[in-house]
Amino acid sequence: MTSLNFPKNANERRAFTLAAIILLQALCAFFFVGDVFVDMTEGGHLDDIHMALEALAALALICGVIYLMLELRQLLRRFSSMATGLRAARGEMTQLIDSFFDSWDLTPSERDVALLVLKGFDNEDIARLRGTAAGTVRAQTAKIYSKANVEGRSHLFSIFMEELFSDHLGEGGKMAKAGGNV
Amino acid sequence: MAPASEAFKGRSGARTFAVWDPLVRLVHWCLALAILLNGAILDGDSPLHEIVGYMAFALVATRVVWGLIGTGPARFAAFPPNPAAALRHLRLMVCGKGPVHLSHNPLGALMAYNIWATVLVLVATGYLMGTLRFFGSKWLEEAHEMAFNWLLVSVALHICGVAFDSWRTRVALVPAMITGRKTVPGDRSVQ
Repeated sequence: MTSLNFPKNANERRAFTLAAIILLQALCAFFFVGDVFVDMTEGGHLDDIHMALEALAALALICGVIYLMLELRQLLRRFSSMATGLRAARGEMTQLIDSFFDSWDLTPSERDVALLVLKGFDNEDIARLRGTAAGTVRAQTAKIYSKANVEGRSHLFSIFMEELFSDHLGEGGKMAKAGGNV
Repeated sequence: MAPASEAFKGRSGARTFAVWDPLVRLVHWCLALAILLNGAILDGDSPLHEIVGYMAFALVATRVVWGLIGTGPARFAAFPPNPAAALRHLRLMVCGKGPVHLSHNPLGALMAYNIWATVLVLVATGYLMGTLRFFGSKWLEEAHEMAFNWLLVSVALHICGVAFDSWRTRVALVPAMITGRKTVPGDRSVQ
């Protein structure tokens, strides 16, 4: 979970920095525009080279502010759709795991253990988390591997990874074959 | 609201939404700081008072532009000034019902427009007081003073409104303006 939180924070930092720059630039733009405005009322003319440059700078700053605002909006929209995609993928993954577990006829405690295996815990950790002996967990994992017809931990992972990589994920062909009830 | 802004569903059914983007939050707190500085700390005749006033104007101007081209909840379209809707909202509030608004609720929206407009009046009267044409004008000074008093009332009402609504809807509004996220209890509908 922490590994997922980090990029989110980095994204938020990026958006915040951009917003701070927009605000700073908006303040500068305002002071430049105000300066040009005051100079004009005091009889300055745009054909004066100094005035013209100042007016140009003010205009450039305003354009910059608007452009950065559009960029910020785009950036925030991208972050939001990224989060949505990730959430959708998580939901699908949970369904997929459930349907495989159903098709392998895992008992409730085997499901727990299998889920912990998929989450990357080793047998000692699982024993500690579930408050059982390490031998029990070893027996349970062996049972899970035989029910799933895999040779071990990495082979178990590969079943799910394959689903992620296949480009016909939406068709649910594999899940149907596995007898899943999605 | 589009589910795109929904961040996650917690176990208790509470949902978290990303609502206020960083620019909205920065403008809000900078404007609050500017009002505090000019209202309570800086002397009215000091040049710094003038500069902070100009900055307040720039802040509101930035917010207005962002209200036209910004993110969903920050746009004026998400919280149009609508007195009829505000009255309806008041009635629902009295009954203790009504959805949670992701952007400002209709009453809060009126307050936001009110505060921005009052700040603009303060800047305008303050600026004119410094011009040659209106220098020493009594009515302008009074207008500036009156606008400031109205701003004090508005800010007090704004703070009370935020405290009351946080209590009523159980959505912590102050943290929402800091982190940008609103956490809505599961039994509340969202609008």
